[in-house]
Amino acid sequence: MSRILLFVLSLAIAGPGLAASDVLHLYNWNNYIAPETVKRFEASCKCELKQTYYSDNEELLAKLAAGAKGYDIVVPTGNALESLIKQKKLMQIDKSKIPNLKNVNAAYLNTAFDPNNQYSVPYAYTITMLGYNDEKMKELGITVDSWAVIFDPKILEKIKGKVTVLDSAGELMAAALKYLGYSINETDEKKLREAADLIKKAKPYWAAFNASSYIKELTVGNIWVAHGYSNDIFQANLDAIAAGRKFRILHALPKEGAVLALDSMAILQSAPRPDLAYKFIDFMLDGKNSAELSNLIGSGNPNSDAMQHIKADVRSNKAVFPDAATLAKLEQQKDFGAKDRRFRSRLWTEIKVR
Amino acid sequence: MPDTSSRVDEVRGRSLTGRAHWPRQWLVSAPPLAYLLVFFAIPAMIMVIASFRHPGEFGGLAPIVEDGRLNLTVEAYERFATDPIYWQVFAKSVVFAGITTLACLLLGYPLALLISRSPRRYRDILMLLVILPFWSNFLIRVYAWMIILGPQSAFTRAINAVIAPIGLDPVTPLFSSFAVVVGLVYVHLPFMVLPLYANLEKHDPALLDAAQDLGADAWRRFWRVTFPLSMPGVWAGAALVFIPALGIFAIPDILGGTEDTLIGNLIKQQFLETRDWPFGSVLSLVLTAIALALAGLAALIARPRRRTTV
Amino acid sequence: MKRTSWTLYAAAMVAYLFLYVPLAIVVVYSFNDSRLNAEWVGFTLDWYRLLFRNDEMIEAAMNSLIIATVASLVSTVLGTMAGFAMHRRRSRVLPILVLAPIAIPEILMGVSLLIFFVLLNFTLGMLSVTLAHVAFCIGFVAIVVRSRLAGMDESLTEAARDCGATPAQAFRLITLPLIMPAVIAGALMAFTLSIDDFVITFFTAGAGTQTLPLQIYSMIKISVTPEVNAVSTLLMLLTLVLIIAASRLAPGALRSS
Repeated sequence: MSRILLFVLSLAIAGPGLAASDVLHLYNWNNYIAPETVKRFEASCKCELKQTYYSDNEELLAKLAAGAKGYDIVVPTGNALESLIKQKKLMQIDKSKIPNLKNVNAAYLNTAFDPNNQYSVPYAYTITMLGYNDEKMKELGITVDSWAVIFDPKILEKIKGKVTVLDSAGELMAAALKYLGYSINETDEKKLREAADLIKKAKPYWAAFNASSYIKELTVGNIWVAHGYSNDIFQANLDAIAAGRKFRILHALPKEGAVLALDSMAILQSAPRPDLAYKFIDFMLDGKNSAELSNLIGSGNPNSDAMQHIKADVRSNKAVFPDAATLAKLEQQKDFGAKDRRFRSRLWTEIKVR
Repeated sequence: MPDTSSRVDEVRGRSLTGRAHWPRQWLVSAPPLAYLLVFFAIPAMIMVIASFRHPGEFGGLAPIVEDGRLNLTVEAYERFATDPIYWQVFAKSVVFAGITTLACLLLGYPLALLISRSPRRYRDILMLLVILPFWSNFLIRVYAWMIILGPQSAFTRAINAVIAPIGLDPVTPLFSSFAVVVGLVYVHLPFMVLPLYANLEKHDPALLDAAQDLGADAWRRFWRVTFPLSMPGVWAGAALVFIPALGIFAIPDILGGTEDTLIGNLIKQQFLETRDWPFGSVLSLVLTAIALALAGLAALIARPRRRTTV
Repeated sequence: MKRTSWTLYAAAMVAYLFLYVPLAIVVVYSFNDSRLNAEWVGFTLDWYRLLFRNDEMIEAAMNSLIIATVASLVSTVLGTMAGFAMHRRRSRVLPILVLAPIAIPEILMGVSLLIFFVLLNFTLGMLSVTLAHVAFCIGFVAIVVRSRLAGMDESLTEAARDCGATPAQAFRLITLPLIMPAVIAGALMAFTLSIDDFVITFFTAGAGTQTLPLQIYSMIKISVTPEVNAVSTLLMLLTLVLIIAASRLAPGALRSS
């Protein structure tokens, strides 16, 4: 009993004490940095990299909004980054400390939510698209090249109960809006309602709203079409091959366009070790280090210098690295104000409940 | 020599000479009370106040005092009261939680009864075996259910083999309300079994012997002796299943289909995607009130029965 | 003891089966030669090998064990006191204060505790998580203890007092052994709740505090590999061994009377 008490006391006292040594706190998505990269960084800066994870931008925002401190670097997606900038939670970046910034592809710099990259540096990106079982789709004679596959009842009839969509209001509404020909950042209530009605009509044909286990279900063959992220679909295909399946999981970027999610590194205002943070960012902007992530999970890479280090099969994959024409059709999600969020939320509640 | 009469009354729950006993009683109730006041009541108060605040423009909460004025509002409550969709979801959640509680009772009672009647040296191990599965991680246990209820499992194939001759289409139990209930029951079962066992364990076997001597058969012995005596355990188990089950969101998220959104999911949505914390607070507080009200109701119904037992 | 009917056996066995089939899948799949937790491909020990090299996961598992042990001990003590007080005093405040943490949605509690800790400038870490866990575990212990006390034969305690025992002695020697099964049941529930908690832990954990559920849930978007099955299997076995060891070391204290 007394030993446990000592444990607790030592944790309470040692907790702040441990932070005194050189530790960089990275708040990141899980599996969003290769273990080799971490080891090399720790060796190069003679410091320790401690990672804590979130699995959703919203979780990150909620935790920071409630006042949590202690993290140095966060890796939010564009709209979450926009929200953090507006809340003045990020430190302005001194570009002189990150010379490797020149490696980044100009197409991914100077975005609408961070003009001139005052607060953030691009890290990786994914595209939301459709993943499908090629065998089944050929059998049913369905060409997967449009959002119609998940919204048109005529097509859905053939694949009823074999479709999952993302459990995210932002992503699903974006897909519906694109299908209808509108922008994903539409705020016109009439157009949003149109999208919601489209979703409600398609809902009975879907198996579930699933943001997490659809890779599994696709690979095993329980689901034939999934609304998901490019790196997940890339992984699902690798898993299908590894499991010895006869079908392949192919990706399809719908012709109407899709959502591009650009994740960036940012330093928090409350960061305990901004000096280590700069070292990390510059390190990750080196092409070789940046490439390791793409090789690991098949994520898109905004770093031009990294391209030479990326494996050929990843580099040539159009789902991971779209060509310029496709890139033009992609949009990034914006952060909405309270009123718009509330309206979209009410629509989403209706979609989920009715 | 201590005062006998006041001690007896203290034991019965009342005290005629209250003065002599309140220091001791306070000693017992003070630590948990203090702890809960600090680490529950005060934080809860923060969120009760939050329900009267405006949501922050980009998330979180707007400041309470803005430009020298008090920035409070009942708008979140108004929105909740005037929109019937939320009551729909609450009703659905109550139904799901109720079915879960009943299923846990039906499944868990025989288990608790058997363990309580087992030889003394096996009881602890048998009880540990009940809770052992729950020291593995929640997520992979639920994923295991995805496998069991998925289209390719033996279970699903067996069901479809049975219903096919009747002419019904093959079903997939996964991503349905059935899957959600199975998941809910699975996750909450030990919280029904443990309180029931704690109660059944103390039943005096002599009572059952006496009933048998008087001619009662096994079923009658159960219904007229064991079950009534176990009521406090039943209510305890029911409370520890129903109340948490009301607010759960992970199971509908993973096992549910497109029609299985419960109030827990809506509340999570308000705090995360919508970033409307005041409204999330309102929904949470209403949920808590409903849970406590139902628990209080159940306690009221349970109380008279307690006094008539030996 | 006597003629427990076969229907009772059958019903109980169905319940045990219900509990263990998913668990069997969890354990068996920890040897599955596939990254996905979806179907059986082949046998391998790779996941266990990977696990032993995964410092992060092991640290997270250890943290979870420590927090769960401390939280369940503290909440069992406080919960037993609360259950006792609720049975004796029939007050109206304590039951609400004890039940409400169970009723309140975890997200609300997590966010409110985080705001609370931040207001106090309390450093987030393992301590903040433990304090949060105790808060919602007390209710579980209290309710079980109270239900055990309800209808308990008070004559034994009265007799002890008549023989001159102080209230403390009467409690330690008479009441406590009688309610021990409830106390243990409460402790087991508290431990289980704490070791598997995600939502509240997510909000109250500090930068660099990782528990097993936090680690595992963050894998949800990529893939929950069988490494998780492996660590769960090991954690279960470890906990079982620890509890059996504890009950051997203190047989008198823990044996249900």
